[in-house]
Amino acid sequence: MGRPAHPHAMAPPKPGRTRTAPPQMPSTWWSAPRIRNYLLFDATGIVYYLISFLAIGMVQALGRGPGAWDAVMTRLQHPAYIAFHVLCLVSVVFVAIRFFSLFPKAQPKMIGPLKPPPASLIHVALYVVWFGITAVMTAVLAGVIF
Amino acid sequence: MRAFLLKIEPLIWLMFGQGILIGTMLLTGWILVVGLLIPLGIVDAGALSYDRAYSLATASLFGFVPIGKLVLAALLVLPLWKGAHHVRSLHVDFGGAERDGVVGMLLYGIALVGSVVGVVAVVGL
Repeated sequence: MGRPAHPHAMAPPKPGRTRTAPPQMPSTWWSAPRIRNYLLFDATGIVYYLISFLAIGMVQALGRGPGAWDAVMTRLQHPAYIAFHVLCLVSVVFVAIRFFSLFPKAQPKMIGPLKPPPASLIHVALYVVWFGITAVMTAVLAGVIF
Repeated sequence: MRAFLLKIEPLIWLMFGQGILIGTMLLTGWILVVGLLIPLGIVDAGALSYDRAYSLATASLFGFVPIGKLVLAALLVLPLWKGAHHVRSLHVDFGGAERDGVVGMLLYGIALVGSVVGVVAVVGL
């Protein structure tokens, strides 16, 4: 893992004015919290990939009829699926916390003629929307409302 | 292939960004109920019986906004692009930069195929 990454990987076609050192993965990445969290953030991509394909399969089963849908819902009771969904829940919470803290820092200085809202306000707003959507989704899917 | 990926990068970043933001917001409730609360018996399985699941998936707002299908389509498609982009990034970080073009095309290709299959499944309900 000590091998330098390709200096032009995912880089723009024209180099910038400022010369930069080639990125290099430290050989002790697992014991360095900043890069470990960065890599874990990337690794949640695997979970997002898998949960999407599982959900696609569920919607296809819904389209096939009650037999296929009931079979899918029964399969989800298997401990392997439950363990996978625990991993998914941990992943989405981790992504949300990390992304919501990054989002305000990624705002431009000006949005047209306006300044973006203060970072703390954006941060709180993201949490409010996330909790709100999660509460509504949970209540609807669990049959509490509608 | 990398030149092509750089050309379509704005599109990739659009889908990736929405995958993180909207995908995460929609997935949390879905995982909680569909993946955990119902399988563990904490919520009655009747909440997502076939009839109720189908009526939720095909529900409309004000009679003309197919809210159920829109939410489902976003939930199926957007996380795929977050997944593709982050797995590509992980691959580069672990020394795969020389194969970045091929791997990137493969990962986004899977996301694209998954998106089409997902949308077809949702529209077909």
